[in-house]
Amino acid sequence: MSAVSAALRQRAGGLFWFWSVGAFRRSLPVLFLAGLAAFILGPLLSLILWAFAGRWFYPALLPQEFSLKWWDVVFGNRSVVSSIKYSLMTAPTVTLLSALICLPAAYAFARFQFPGRRFLLLSFLSANSFPKIGLYISIATLFYRLHLMTTFWGVVLIQLMGTLLFMIWIPTGTFRGINRSLEEAARDVGASSARTFFQITLPIAMPGLLVAGLFAFLAAFDEAQGTLIVGSPNYITMPVMMYTLVLNYPQPVGAVFSILLTVPSLVLLLLAQRLLRQGYLAAGYTL
Amino acid sequence: MTGLALVLPPFFLLVFFILVPAAEAVLDTLRVERGGQIVYSLVRYAEMLRTVSLRRSVVFTILVTLASVGVTFALAYALALYLRFSKGWVSTLLGALFIIPLFIPTVIASFAMVTFLEHHGYVATLLHTIGVEDTPSLVFNATGIVLTEVWASIPFATLVLLAGLQGIDDALIDSARDVGAGALRTFLAVVLPLNTVATVITMSLLFIGILGSFTIPYLVGGNAPQMMSVVMTNYFTNYLRPDISVALAALSFVIAALAGAAYVGGVSHRERGAV
Repeated sequence: MSAVSAALRQRAGGLFWFWSVGAFRRSLPVLFLAGLAAFILGPLLSLILWAFAGRWFYPALLPQEFSLKWWDVVFGNRSVVSSIKYSLMTAPTVTLLSALICLPAAYAFARFQFPGRRFLLLSFLSANSFPKIGLYISIATLFYRLHLMTTFWGVVLIQLMGTLLFMIWIPTGTFRGINRSLEEAARDVGASSARTFFQITLPIAMPGLLVAGLFAFLAAFDEAQGTLIVGSPNYITMPVMMYTLVLNYPQPVGAVFSILLTVPSLVLLLLAQRLLRQGYLAAGYTL
Repeated sequence: MTGLALVLPPFFLLVFFILVPAAEAVLDTLRVERGGQIVYSLVRYAEMLRTVSLRRSVVFTILVTLASVGVTFALAYALALYLRFSKGWVSTLLGALFIIPLFIPTVIASFAMVTFLEHHGYVATLLHTIGVEDTPSLVFNATGIVLTEVWASIPFATLVLLAGLQGIDDALIDSARDVGAGALRTFLAVVLPLNTVATVITMSLLFIGILGSFTIPYLVGGNAPQMMSVVMTNYFTNYLRPDISVALAALSFVIAALAGAAYVGGVSHRERGAV
């Protein structure tokens, strides 16, 4: 056994001789950072260049001519502008509605014992596991019957489905992480259960709930397949519009629109970066 | 019972708008007209499995998904380890960097990847500048799908793995180092086993997410073979065979359910251990 591992080590030592060079080992993290930065930022930088390119032919590293003309094309297209409006209307509505429906459930999952608790909690994993296109006919039939087809609330409802998992799992993990004795102490000094919830539990849970809201917003904002089924042709949101632009317009038009579509989420990135690293997401997935 | 009452509204939404429509759609694929009568039969599924292009698509989907999960997992684990155990400017920058894709809508990510990787795209331009001409084709094939899926999945995987690593007590690592274990040995004998739950969660949920993804394979994938989600859409809109489309969706759901079972198994294992 030890002979084998010694032989292996020697072999590896031969193959990875550079591993013993100190300078290499010290610079490894920097190389990793540079590689990852190129991989993550490269596509985005290429996109930004395209959005401002008037003329750009291979193999020039930068566009031969910079221009804002594609921005005029995008803003001059009325359906593009209305898709921005619809996206900014639906995604926040979906997030708020989802919070309203799911947060009481999350609190119950974290704090109460009832039959089927674990099964019900896990069932939400199925919300995104059945491909939407397979639901096309039955969803369309159902939404026609409910007069929700091609309506604002129909789109809200279909996007809401994709947010359930985040809005239930992450807050359940958050509520569960809050020490019960804090709530009990408030109850002991005479606070009602409602007051205890709003003055003790909710403020402590807020960062975790914001992370859940963030994931729900991004899921709603990003949803295209269900929105296409239910919303078109009246309610075309930005991601749905993007399919048309990518497939039918010159590259810079898609690039300009991409930048517009990224702005709302980038604002969220700046606001939420600190929260994301605090483990609320993982707590929600470790139920 | 208060608990049950609070939990039912979102559960009813799930049942009414996803589970019942899904069950209806699948039941419909089982109904066949035979001699003026409706009977239940698996002929459509048999047809699906007999069609060579569909069989290839299923295999292709599973392979691309596994490759994407594998690459994402390896990258995210390296990232999470570095973020957990190193301080300094490299760690700070990596921490700011890895989260960015989470905030980029998938349509944009796919489009950006196309401009980056396409024939005469930015990567090809850079390689041309340093004198490399024969670049392998990086997009509109499996490579493109894997690269884009990895790009989009890194934040989720890293966040879950990092949280798992943060739960490991420093004292355990120190004591392993004290008795003479090297970095690799400490990782294999201490860190990896203690982080099993995060590992199972990351792998199974990445698998489910990538298996069902549509936008990325649709915009970045090639003509053939295609991933199941794209084939489903083609059968629905172009070939006017919604029945085959739903049958494929059902198969995709069954494969996802297997990963779901792995998730449930991995997480409950921990709960039993904790008691």
